[in-house]
Amino acid sequence: MAMAVDFKMYVDQACRAAEEFVNIYYETMDKRRHALVRLYLDKATLIWNGNVVTGLEALANFFEMLPSSEFQINMLDCQPVHEQATQYQTTVLVVTSGVVKFDGNKQHFFNQNFLLTAQSTPNSTVWKIASDCFRFQDWASI
Amino acid sequence: MWSSPDKDPEDRPSMIVLKNTNSETQKHRYDLPYKRSETHCHSEYKMSHRRGFQGRKRGANYIWHKFDRRNNHFNYPGTPYAVGLKRRKERYSYEDRYFLTVWNDRKTEECEDLYAERRATERWYKVTIPSGRKYEKTWLINSIQKLCTVPFVPVDFHYDKNRARFFVQDAKIASALKDVNLKICDETSRKISLFVSPSVVPYSVQNKFSSEQMEHLKISIMKRYDASQKALDLEKFRFDQDLMDKDIDMMLNRRSCMVATLQIIESNIPELLSLNLKNNKLYQLDGLSDMTEKAPQVKILNLSRNKLKSIFELEKVKELKLEELWLEGNPFCNCYLDDSEYISAVRDLFPKLLRLDGRELIVPTGMDIEAPQLCKKTHNETELIKNLVLRFLKEYYLFYDNGDRLRLLDAYHDQACFSLSVPFNVSDPDLDNLEEYLKYNRDIKKQQDSNMRVQLLKHTKHDIVTSLSLLPKTQHDLCSFWVDLCFHSEMMLCFSVNGLFKEVEGKCQGCIRAFTRIFIAIPCSDSRICIMNDELIVRNASPKEIQKAFTSSPAPDTSLKPLLSAEQQEMVKSFSVQSGMKLDWSQKCLEDNEWDYTKAGEAFTALQNEGKIPKEFFK
Repeated sequence: MAMAVDFKMYVDQACRAAEEFVNIYYETMDKRRHALVRLYLDKATLIWNGNVVTGLEALANFFEMLPSSEFQINMLDCQPVHEQATQYQTTVLVVTSGVVKFDGNKQHFFNQNFLLTAQSTPNSTVWKIASDCFRFQDWASI
Repeated sequence: MWSSPDKDPEDRPSMIVLKNTNSETQKHRYDLPYKRSETHCHSEYKMSHRRGFQGRKRGANYIWHKFDRRNNHFNYPGTPYAVGLKRRKERYSYEDRYFLTVWNDRKTEECEDLYAERRATERWYKVTIPSGRKYEKTWLINSIQKLCTVPFVPVDFHYDKNRARFFVQDAKIASALKDVNLKICDETSRKISLFVSPSVVPYSVQNKFSSEQMEHLKISIMKRYDASQKALDLEKFRFDQDLMDKDIDMMLNRRSCMVATLQIIESNIPELLSLNLKNNKLYQLDGLSDMTEKAPQVKILNLSRNKLKSIFELEKVKELKLEELWLEGNPFCNCYLDDSEYISAVRDLFPKLLRLDGRELIVPTGMDIEAPQLCKKTHNETELIKNLVLRFLKEYYLFYDNGDRLRLLDAYHDQACFSLSVPFNVSDPDLDNLEEYLKYNRDIKKQQDSNMRVQLLKHTKHDIVTSLSLLPKTQHDLCSFWVDLCFHSEMMLCFSVNGLFKEVEGKCQGCIRAFTRIFIAIPCSDSRICIMNDELIVRNASPKEIQKAFTSSPAPDTSLKPLLSAEQQEMVKSFSVQSGMKLDWSQKCLEDNEWDYTKAGEAFTALQNEGKIPKEFFK
């Protein structure tokens, strides 16, 4: 019973984190691209359709190169990650799905998943991206 | 006018004296200065007495000077014409006399110089570098030549204990080489001493072969040359029958014989690959060191059964890039406790040696330098994780598709989570046939109820496996899988799988689905991984995906290449989206950067910023 109560608490925390994060992330991606890199940890890794981008500098270059975007999120799910896997750093798995249109390109379906870690600050908890994995779905349609 | 008569009588006796005898002329030379200037002449006179030859030489100079002075007098403007004529005649006689004398002296001196010069060009000099042993011959000679103002040809270069030595001919060269002393610095910034001293004719020059002998030697050598193998067999060359018949003593342990042999190799077969010098009683390799210039392509060298007493003789030929070396039967081979010590000693001199005395050598692991090891380690780590993940997936879907899904219990951690999502897609005409999955859909954009959110997130392995068993039976197309390694640390592995499967039972039997699966795993016992988080996204496959499903051959050989090719296609499409360039130009950019996506992106950005990418490259 105690365990069940704890589990529910973690699930609730994860859902709140996911909802807040997704709103910030995709709005920043679409409208304030230059600030997007601030959402990532220093050693974060992005895998973009199988291509690895590691480190803030590389990420900044990558996002700068990416054409302007319009993201529409159709699905959001999340799970708390057990402390045994995270070495006691609160971590949440966030999964999204939707449609994106990059300037000059056709619309694409995509799936994306993030590992977010909680970073404590004096005022509140800030979630930062430890890993980001993005893949077009229906990629054969190009 | 009185003064004129005075000068005339003075000149007249002088002429008389010259006409009489040589001894009188000599006397006159001494007398005249004395009369002109007592103090100066007195000094000159004394010096003459002390150094006979020098005095005589000085006398000659003095006469020349005298002539100049008289010439000046001739130009005196005040002289009457009549008197001038007379004086000119007298001076002419005087001038003629002295001119002859001077000419004679000069000619003698010139002959002497010529003779000395001839001797100087024939003279030999020995050049010694006291600590030269520790430097490679090529580097050493090149370093000296750079600083030497005169080009030179080193003869009989050799090492003698710690010294390096060679010979040169010509005094000018010797003089130029002396200036190189302490001008060369080695890698440790030490100045290198170099000394030059007169020498006898070098041994190899003393014993030089005649043209006829060289021709015979060439014929014998070419008979022993196998052009197809580029191999020269000079084993027991001393006993070559043709050479013995012609009374040519060809003993390769003599410097002159080795020089002659290498000269013929250089002129006729510079492409030599293999040289057999077995059984030639070689006790040192100074002569053979010239091989690095004369036959640099030699890869196989046979020095077995000679008289080498120290392995350090091999230092003299270590600049050769040998792959195969024979040394057995030399005295120094007995100095090692065992084979490994012997092999190690030889290897120190020839790191790239592949065979020694006919045996293949194994490359020791210790030879790897630090940097490659780091790269290797990184590569191994990635490979290890990759293999771990692939093995896991193969095993997981074997049970998921073919057996009782309850057997997946061991794949999950006690506290694991699982949830299922179905993305909403208005353009999907068959969304209704996903109802078996929609029942469990945990899309929290649609599911706002906190309790339902918890309920739809399966927790503990038993609940997970029970839930998986309720989903439709499947057959996964493993060849359609894309696997991304999202994150890894010592404690956690996060990877995602994208692919296709078909349903094999129920009313949707035969339907092709596309899925994304995200696993978070932790290490378990026996190098296995255990699932902590599991997220499944299911949607209908697109028409093109359906077309491609289950078409790849399962055979590893045939599927590997298409997989890599497909991966590169994926990169091209992704790069095209990101850069805005057409597909073919995107592909070229990736190819030019060795399919390094980040590198290609940087190259593209740099070129774009410089405005160097033509408009037609873009869509």
